[in-house]
Amino acid sequence: MDNVKQALKECDRLLRKNPNHLSAHAMKAYALARLGDTDAALEIGGKILKVPKSAANSHVRQALVLTYKFLRRPGEVIAVYNAAQKHLPDDESIYTSIFLTAASNEMFSEQHQAAVAVNKAFKREKYTWWIAVSLLVQAQFEKGPGNAQLQLTLAQRMAEKALQDHHVRNTEHLRVLLLVLEAQGNHEAMLSALSLDSPMAQQIANDPDLVTQRIDLLVKTRSFKEAIDAAAQTLDARDNWIDYKLYIEAAVGAIKQSAGDPDAQQQVLRDTCERLTKWSHARGRARGAQLATVELAAKVGISGLGAGHESDVRSLGDQIWAYVDLFQNKAICYSDIMQYFVDNVRGAAATADSSPASSTALLDFHSDQLSRRIQQVLQNADSSEDSAQAWVNMEKIRYLLQALRGDDDPEKWIDGVDSFLKFGLDSKNAKAKQAASSDMVLLACQRLIQATFLAYPREQQETHGLLTRSIFTILCVLEEGIRLNGENFLLKLYAIRLYLCLSCYSRARTLYDSLDIKHIQNDTLGYFIVGQGLALGCFIPDLELSYKGVSFYDTAYVTIPHELESAYKNGTYSNIPDFLEFNDNLKNSFQRQVSHRCALRNETIEQGRSKDVVEVLETTDTQSIELADSVLASLHDNRDFKVMGLLTPLDMTQCNLEILTRPTPVHSVHWIRVFSLLPQAMHYMAVADVEALEAKKGQLLSTVAEAGDSLSVYDKKIVEGICCIADIYTCSLGNPSSVDEKIDELVKIVDTGIPDEETADPKPTDLSKLPLSTIRDLAAVTEIFTYAVCAKHAASRHNLPFSNAFGFALTQLRKKALRCIPALKSWSNKSARSAISDSWIDTDQPMLLSDISQHMRTKHKQALDTVVKGCADSWLKSAKGVLAHWEQCSL
Amino acid sequence: MATIRRFKAMDLFTVNNINLDKYTETYPLGFYLSYMSQWPDLFSAAESAGGRLMGYMMGKVEGKGELWHGHVTALTVAPECRRLGLARGLMRFLEDASEKTYDCYFVDLFVRPSNKVAVRMYETLGYILYRQVIDYYMGNGVMPTEYAYDMRRALPRDVGGKSVVPLKHPVGIEETFF
Repeated sequence: MDNVKQALKECDRLLRKNPNHLSAHAMKAYALARLGDTDAALEIGGKILKVPKSAANSHVRQALVLTYKFLRRPGEVIAVYNAAQKHLPDDESIYTSIFLTAASNEMFSEQHQAAVAVNKAFKREKYTWWIAVSLLVQAQFEKGPGNAQLQLTLAQRMAEKALQDHHVRNTEHLRVLLLVLEAQGNHEAMLSALSLDSPMAQQIANDPDLVTQRIDLLVKTRSFKEAIDAAAQTLDARDNWIDYKLYIEAAVGAIKQSAGDPDAQQQVLRDTCERLTKWSHARGRARGAQLATVELAAKVGISGLGAGHESDVRSLGDQIWAYVDLFQNKAICYSDIMQYFVDNVRGAAATADSSPASSTALLDFHSDQLSRRIQQVLQNADSSEDSAQAWVNMEKIRYLLQALRGDDDPEKWIDGVDSFLKFGLDSKNAKAKQAASSDMVLLACQRLIQATFLAYPREQQETHGLLTRSIFTILCVLEEGIRLNGENFLLKLYAIRLYLCLSCYSRARTLYDSLDIKHIQNDTLGYFIVGQGLALGCFIPDLELSYKGVSFYDTAYVTIPHELESAYKNGTYSNIPDFLEFNDNLKNSFQRQVSHRCALRNETIEQGRSKDVVEVLETTDTQSIELADSVLASLHDNRDFKVMGLLTPLDMTQCNLEILTRPTPVHSVHWIRVFSLLPQAMHYMAVADVEALEAKKGQLLSTVAEAGDSLSVYDKKIVEGICCIADIYTCSLGNPSSVDEKIDELVKIVDTGIPDEETADPKPTDLSKLPLSTIRDLAAVTEIFTYAVCAKHAASRHNLPFSNAFGFALTQLRKKALRCIPALKSWSNKSARSAISDSWIDTDQPMLLSDISQHMRTKHKQALDTVVKGCADSWLKSAKGVLAHWEQCSL
Repeated sequence: MATIRRFKAMDLFTVNNINLDKYTETYPLGFYLSYMSQWPDLFSAAESAGGRLMGYMMGKVEGKGELWHGHVTALTVAPECRRLGLARGLMRFLEDASEKTYDCYFVDLFVRPSNKVAVRMYETLGYILYRQVIDYYMGNGVMPTEYAYDMRRALPRDVGGKSVVPLKHPVGIEETFF
């Protein structure tokens, strides 16, 4: 930044000598833009453009383009080029710059016009493709009323003409044509473009995606025989799952097409089975061919084509187990086959009355098959890595079958876990860091979590002690697993979740940081932890993480347009729709809004310590954070909810471990709306706009009412607090007599979250309250207190009559907090560890996981110590974070 | 067995089961997108039957004259998808494109000598140790500074196998730029 300031000085020096030095003016505009003086930069830029021929000067043009690019004003960038073009009509680079600026900034109409203009002026083959792609993306991505059909028709004509004129020279050109045709659903024409007689045939044959696309199109156009032949030819040469899938689809289509001709049907089925058998015998190809056989059984079953063909195709159940028998020693086996188990059982349930195999009978069948095998693999698990892996797969299947049965007996869910732990933590395989042993630890924890949340639901306060103790026990297992194999990221993800369930931000954050999550992962995995620090009193670490997320999106804002330009320049046009979709997903990312709101909240909390906060709130940009319902509805949820290695389909919510382990509800649209309204309400307090404040309060209340359980109780409490502050503010102007009452109400809300000195030194039996509510309550009221202090400062600034009384009440609250929170801090520092020992380790009170707890206590003391330390240190850091805030947030 | 197809930008939202692995780097967006925008047919993803990503490979072509070659920039497979021959499948994909589409002389890659499993796999795929590159891998607190093996496999265009005659002495990083 110092260099920019120096540059500005140089520009001024030059301008003193020569006030008409246009380049110096343009450079000054850029320097001002970089220094944040947008208005001055724009004013200078506008003046320069009014000077005749100014943009024809390449130095001036370059500096102005840089300025407007920096200010994210692509329209002005194009205006600069347009101005230059008038004086330099033969400069091709200006034409292409206009096109690329429009293309990379999704100005579709301008992009199309620029493509037409450059093509007209310079008639290069490349530019005809630019026109075709521009029409395609305009039809597909332009928002608002457009004329997509006309644009696609024009694009199709351009691409087809290129094909006729032999201007389709590579597969990227061909892909443009295919994309245009696909957008119109014209599969026949797509097939024709991919014809084996085409001049592009060799290039198509060398492009595996196009080969597959051709088979897919044959299936879509119901040319099943040709599809079978094409797929078979491809599968003779390579092992690609999608080709198997299409092959099966084509075969089933052909069988259906031959309805009424049983011989023909049988022939197709036999041919298919024979080919699958042949491929399964080829070296290294058994898995694909065998899974295709399962797929065939599933498809034939669904289509009702199985009857009469039993000699050719086995039942889906039998086929599934045949697959498991062959590939049980591969880690991927379970995820390959899981969906077929689900389809098999659910398919039977859907036709329970018409099929002899009801879902219960099928579950019994699968359970029987499983129990026959599980003993067998168990015998060798210790000595053979393959058997160990097979055991893991069998246990995953057992888990799924239990879930499909809807088993709600916690005891059944922990059945066998002791043997998992023996293998996963205590065997020589575990010491050797064998992957299967680590998987077994994870599987044990998944069962323990399922059992725990079934036995001790969060809604039942009377079992909170047992819930927290169970979570503590599972954490001990996870920590031991991590100690033995720190490379297993799934163990860490579960540990992060469970630590947060116990309000342990610091340890959760350490584990999160150890995963080195960065760049795009801020968008997909940030939901694990962003906002949790804020909710647990660790404001500064949370602010850092929120900024990290926000800065990722800022980087993407620059990177993606740049790569869009590259794709046009390199002629890799097939990337463009993908890049545009990707850009849209990031620009309108759900997590982006969450990160931004968290950063905003954390900033307000940070600035709430200073009396200058009112000025900051006064200048808050309320427009950019006000999201219309249509914008909220169009947000893309890129969060990766599957990352936790789930063992059941996502829709089985009662067994979805990602959902079960959420410390608080994941951020929802209601959450975004609430924390968009909240800074707006604060802004209207700062500028004393009571009418607008009332409106925001109304919106806050209605959002909370709509939100139901998608907002946590703590978020609801914050809203309650801010509405109360708003009431104080508005009453003071309209109904001063009720101000005291409202102040009392606010004091009560905040006061309930400040632990009294007794709670700050919890007795062993009360330990559950601390992690489940005390710290989160305290962080929430700390935030409310901050808003109240901001409101008080605003009231003083506007000389509102209630400010003294309000200030007095807040001072009293602060005094209490500064008395009680140090007690919590001191307890976390000195007594938390012994309290954990008393309540969660050395207790005789029976619980579901008593045996596991005992096992960890006697055999894995180190893991126990890690969790105890992790909990105590984390609570201490939360207490310190909150205390520091109350200390510094003075009135 | 997997579906091997072109990697798409949208795949970046679902690579966590691969990239959370300790030895797989998550690069800035521009790195992935620049490979897609320059060499889309050399950036491949392997997808499971259930639609999850199992691994991916980023590659490029570079060099002049007889040094025109395919290069493996990154090859990674999710932990649960190992021992399935997936890396071989992805390598074959790049080799095919380098040979048939780009008409290269050879394919090369850099690998840590300490990654013995990978070195062995490349050897079985016909790659030889062409040269060692001094201090190619920088210390990052996790792994110490390490030499790289520059491994190569000749393609049919290199009839005499000139590209795979091993060098006798290690080279500096600057000598590896094309």
